[in-house]
Amino acid sequence: MLTAKELERYDRQIMIYGFGKEGQEKLKKARVFIAGAGGLGSPVTIYLAAAGIGTIRIADHDRVELSNLNRQVLHWEENLGGRKVDSAAAKLGKFNTGIKVETIADTITEANISQLVADSDLIVDAMDNLPTRYLLNRAAIKKGIPFFHGAVYGFEGRAMTVIPGKSACLNCLYHGATVPKEKFPVIGVTPAVIGCIQATEVIKYLVGLGELLTNRLLNYDALRMKFTEFKINRDPNCEHCSNTSNRVSKQ
Amino acid sequence: MSVEIEISPIFSRYTNNILNMKVESKTIRECLNDLVRQFPNLKKLLLDKDSNLMHAYDIYLNGENLYPRDMTKPVKDGDKLNVIFIIHGG
Repeated sequence: MLTAKELERYDRQIMIYGFGKEGQEKLKKARVFIAGAGGLGSPVTIYLAAAGIGTIRIADHDRVELSNLNRQVLHWEENLGGRKVDSAAAKLGKFNTGIKVETIADTITEANISQLVADSDLIVDAMDNLPTRYLLNRAAIKKGIPFFHGAVYGFEGRAMTVIPGKSACLNCLYHGATVPKEKFPVIGVTPAVIGCIQATEVIKYLVGLGELLTNRLLNYDALRMKFTEFKINRDPNCEHCSNTSNRVSKQ
Repeated sequence: MSVEIEISPIFSRYTNNILNMKVESKTIRECLNDLVRQFPNLKKLLLDKDSNLMHAYDIYLNGENLYPRDMTKPVKDGDKLNVIFIIHGG
């Protein structure tokens, strides 16, 4: 049930055709797991908090560094040296006192991922390396919950939404390929765009509106200000998603 | 066969900022070979010693993921290839 304050706060989005109070209640009940409170995690969490997602669970083991501040807009100069999850929770808590923010300062590993994601309704991939992205992808498939992928490099970004059992997963896209983890170039506006696309997909999924970015990789080329879509097919032999016999779907 | 190739902007420093180019080829492998012939600085980045595309890149034929990565797959006049770098930053 939405309070009078919530009805006023979210009035403009409740007005959207197909959204309504029902959609807002779905957001209020939702629990989302966001892996990463950096360049992508900042816009994702800010816009999901703005939209009124009931519980935002953020995982990040890093501390705030000066070189983060060109893009990780959740963190400010006053947070240098502090834990990113604490910085994020402080901002989001002030921004929207009506939502719950849970923080995890652990490193995401194969051993703890299921426990960290817990009973979240979905996973947002805001990580900075492929091995952890694959772990998250596997965890989403195992739990039967959606996975919202985003990645950036320089002025380029990509996004794709995964609905386990129904659409191509991250491993169908990259087939286990890895690239060395290294310091990568990026300007803040790139993760801002991609993070907002991920947040948009999350909202659409939870409310049940529109068409999701499934079986499509959206490529954003900011230098040419161009979006391109690539068709991604499910791999019938995918090591992550082809065997769905043990999967328990939430949907 | 005249095939268009579009490459990611991250390659621009190796191609004098040219990101869309034409190649004359009958297969995917020939397309890539003609690409690196025109832009030799791309060769070490893109291809391994057997002229296969390195794992850090993906290739799309007419907007569709080319998997399995069959380098002998024929191409036809007017086809378009996209070569993109696997990005992982967040």
